[in-house]
Amino acid sequence: MPDNTVSIPIRQRPTQFAGQPLADCAPKTINSLYLHIPFCAHKCHYCDFYSLVDRQDRQEAFLNRLIEELRAVAPLAGPLDTVFVGGGTPTLLATHLWGRLGAALHQFFDICDETTEFTVECNPETASESLFHSLRHAGVNRLSVGMQSFNRTHLKTLEREHNPENVPRTFEQARCVGIANISGDLIFAIPGQTLDDWDQDLDQAMSLGLNHLSAYNLTYEPATAMTARLETGQFTPCPEELEIEMFNHAAARLANDNFERYEVSNYAQPGHACRHNLAYWRQHDWLACGPSASGHAAGHRWKNIGRLDTYLNNTQNGFAPITDHEEPDPARAVRESIMTGLRLAEGLDKSLVLLQSENALTGSAARLESEIRQANEEGLLTDTQSRLVLTERGILFADGLAGRLMTCVL
Amino acid sequence: MDRNLIRNFSIIAHIDHGKSTLADRLLQATKAVSDRESKAQLLDSMDLERERGITIKASAVTVMHMHNGQNYMLNFIDTPGHVDFGYEVSRALKACEGALLVVDASQGVEAQTVVNAYLAVEQDLEMIPVLNKIDLPGARPDEIAMEVEQVLGLPAEDCISVSAKTGVGIPELLDAICEILPPPSPPKSDKTRVLIFDAIYDDYRGVMLYCRVFDGRLKVGDKIRMMGMERTFLVTEIGKNTPKPVKVKEVGPGETCYVVAAIKTLGDVRIGDTITLDNNPADELLAGYEPAKQMVFCDFYPATTADKKGGDIEEMREAIEKLAINDASFTYQAVHSEALGFGFRCGFLGLLHMDIIQERLEREFNLELVQTAPTVSYEIVVRGKGGELTEREVHNPADLPDMGSVVEIREPICKVEIMLAKEYIGDVMKLCLDRRGVYKSQVYVSDTREMFNFEIPLAELIYDFYDKLKGLTSGYGTMDYEVVRYQADQLVKVDILINGEPVEALSLITHREKSEARGRVLLQRLRKQIDRHQFEIPLQAAIGGKIIARETIKAYRKDVTAKCYGGDVTRKRKLLEKQKKGKDRMKSIGSVNIPQEAFMSVLDVGEG
Repeated sequence: MPDNTVSIPIRQRPTQFAGQPLADCAPKTINSLYLHIPFCAHKCHYCDFYSLVDRQDRQEAFLNRLIEELRAVAPLAGPLDTVFVGGGTPTLLATHLWGRLGAALHQFFDICDETTEFTVECNPETASESLFHSLRHAGVNRLSVGMQSFNRTHLKTLEREHNPENVPRTFEQARCVGIANISGDLIFAIPGQTLDDWDQDLDQAMSLGLNHLSAYNLTYEPATAMTARLETGQFTPCPEELEIEMFNHAAARLANDNFERYEVSNYAQPGHACRHNLAYWRQHDWLACGPSASGHAAGHRWKNIGRLDTYLNNTQNGFAPITDHEEPDPARAVRESIMTGLRLAEGLDKSLVLLQSENALTGSAARLESEIRQANEEGLLTDTQSRLVLTERGILFADGLAGRLMTCVL
Repeated sequence: MDRNLIRNFSIIAHIDHGKSTLADRLLQATKAVSDRESKAQLLDSMDLERERGITIKASAVTVMHMHNGQNYMLNFIDTPGHVDFGYEVSRALKACEGALLVVDASQGVEAQTVVNAYLAVEQDLEMIPVLNKIDLPGARPDEIAMEVEQVLGLPAEDCISVSAKTGVGIPELLDAICEILPPPSPPKSDKTRVLIFDAIYDDYRGVMLYCRVFDGRLKVGDKIRMMGMERTFLVTEIGKNTPKPVKVKEVGPGETCYVVAAIKTLGDVRIGDTITLDNNPADELLAGYEPAKQMVFCDFYPATTADKKGGDIEEMREAIEKLAINDASFTYQAVHSEALGFGFRCGFLGLLHMDIIQERLEREFNLELVQTAPTVSYEIVVRGKGGELTEREVHNPADLPDMGSVVEIREPICKVEIMLAKEYIGDVMKLCLDRRGVYKSQVYVSDTREMFNFEIPLAELIYDFYDKLKGLTSGYGTMDYEVVRYQADQLVKVDILINGEPVEALSLITHREKSEARGRVLLQRLRKQIDRHQFEIPLQAAIGGKIIARETIKAYRKDVTAKCYGGDVTRKRKLLEKQKKGKDRMKSIGSVNIPQEAFMSVLDVGEG
């Protein structure tokens, strides 16, 4: 799973390293690992994740440094429940380097094909049989394919350079090597896209035999080419009404194939929800390696510095230089669990949230309860079976509502 | 000091016509300052004054000058140039017997020169017209002298041509000051009467009074009584700015000086007051003291910042109190606005005065201010329950009583002088008529220039009139105004309703004919500032329940981030928390969250 770009002052010597937050962690307690591979063949216009347009010459150096970092963090990892390799374009990493990465992972960590969900993000354009072989050999058992759309016009609008016709082949190749667990990403509300177009994208995706789908409403992130083009009037954005129709249509259409919306933008057949992402949303701990990867452990949050050369040239006993370090703060932790938990179909454990909130900030539980009651009256939230769950309408207003509830613990 | 050898005078000039440079040149010529010490514009002590090229605070400088074998004492009393400071000008002029009327020999007589000259005439001052900047290639001293005669009625041949820059004509001007300007009139009694024409606060000595002695004497050690304030103090120091401060033991009739008297705060002093001796008091105050009349009002609120919940009202109170004492001509009272919290409603002599106070609060006191758009002071006539009529002053539309009881609203009308080149006459006429102006007269100034006289409501002038005038005349038109009377007109109160709820802080008083356009502009601004909500928000402008304009803020239908993964948590959390902080600064009216900026944009000057 990719991480966002951080901007850091150029050429400033880093002073903080991941060893600092991780010093608070007990050994063998963290069960998720995220790796960031910062290479791309081309920067898609909607993307704000940290990536460098392919630098083959840096791949080897990067991998050496990554392995050094993995070695440093490994003592904190228990048996790994999930591994997620995001980017960038992880499948752009050379086949032989994947071999070395796999070997290192297995050397340092407790990874088991039966119990570890090991996902790699994949650009269909980079797929090849030999690559999939080395992925599988490295332990990969789940693929997340960036399909985005099957419509060439819309892919062009996104400046996403892949040939939609290659997508089915990617699935075949993956299955051939034994990676059966495949997820796909789609984007909707692309300028010019109709509800019909969107329906066709969903149909095509379903025909590939996925068991998991992420359907993202196109977001105009600051400082992306897409946003610049929007602001200079190069296209008309999708009307809000249509966005909502598309959003609702996805849920209805995917339900036909026994997909449940388990998070705002994520759908899965029973038993196939992405466990790695659930770890994020349930506020579990995870280790993070590679430039710009974000970690969360023992109440700390931090982010590896995003510049590749800073990452390559700075190490502290193998740990990566970090930025945006946040010390443990129980109230913040409650706010974060509200923010991510509300987005899940399973919602939040009401009494647990109230308890944690009151422990973190006296008087906050009462405020929270009253806000919950009000949201309930507004038809945004239900609290059946002692869980707080957004209603259909509530999902559309998840941010505002999360903000209101978080405010109670601020 | 022989009273007959004293000359007290002011210099009156339009901005940039070289008043301060001339003053400095005079100081230099009298050897009061060496060439080395002579930095530009000694008299203007505040940065702000120097930047704006105007003098805000009057100050007095005393120099000695040999003329015809006699040693004259020349007291320069600097005056604020702008008519906004008519009150300060009048106090300073009261301390004088004469004035130098300075006109730029290339620019000619400007509107401001005219208005200030009228003030000097009212005070019976002897005037010496001075044509400055004759060294400039564009100087036309002969033509400008004719303008002076045409417009001000001072004989053209009386004009003295100088260049403050090169020093040409300065000796002649000094001679004229000694010969033409009259000495102070003889004292009317030996009971001490001293006019306070200015006061400043000095960090080391406390309050320093700037004074002019009319009758009797004042000595160090005297117990003095402020006749108006009825307070007594002990004089600890008397001195003169030469311009360096020089202590003296005593002063007599006709002299100017500063006085230190262990006065702790400027609140103990009223400018315009008369000082007498406690043990031998004078019978009555010096005449002519008029309290300043505030014509323009606006509110100041401490700006709330993201990290500081609500600005510091106490800090602001301290600053305003300090400033008010330094500038007796602005008023303030604590207010509470439903939109902006606690603040102060301040009254000013005019728009420039308002700008200056705002800038001083920000610069000298490091305050961050939220300033509302100016309004004028209205007189309203209200019919009581028993049918009796009462009159009162209102300078905030929100303070208007139920409009059913309001019989009449009267607004201040200004006499406006506009000086401009002939080719702009048509456009400027149109502007004046647009602003409900009434044409009064036109004066021939020269072959290329005219002076107009219009009567325009002050409420129309404070809406970017000056900017518009400058725009229409390529920057060359000048104007000045003074309020001449209050007059009833078709004035109405426009209510603004957000989601059906009237918002008092946004209501305005305007002319009926302009109400719809003003209302619409206001609603359009409001619409841009208020975020969409989960419901549609009607914005309406209404006069007494009748809707005259309407805008709508569409409901938003969706507020949910598509992606929220491990690396997004911190950024996203901060974003949501920031929204909340933003909400702290918002006012909720009719379940609509209205940001402070919305109030500001609406209250902003100008018609958009």
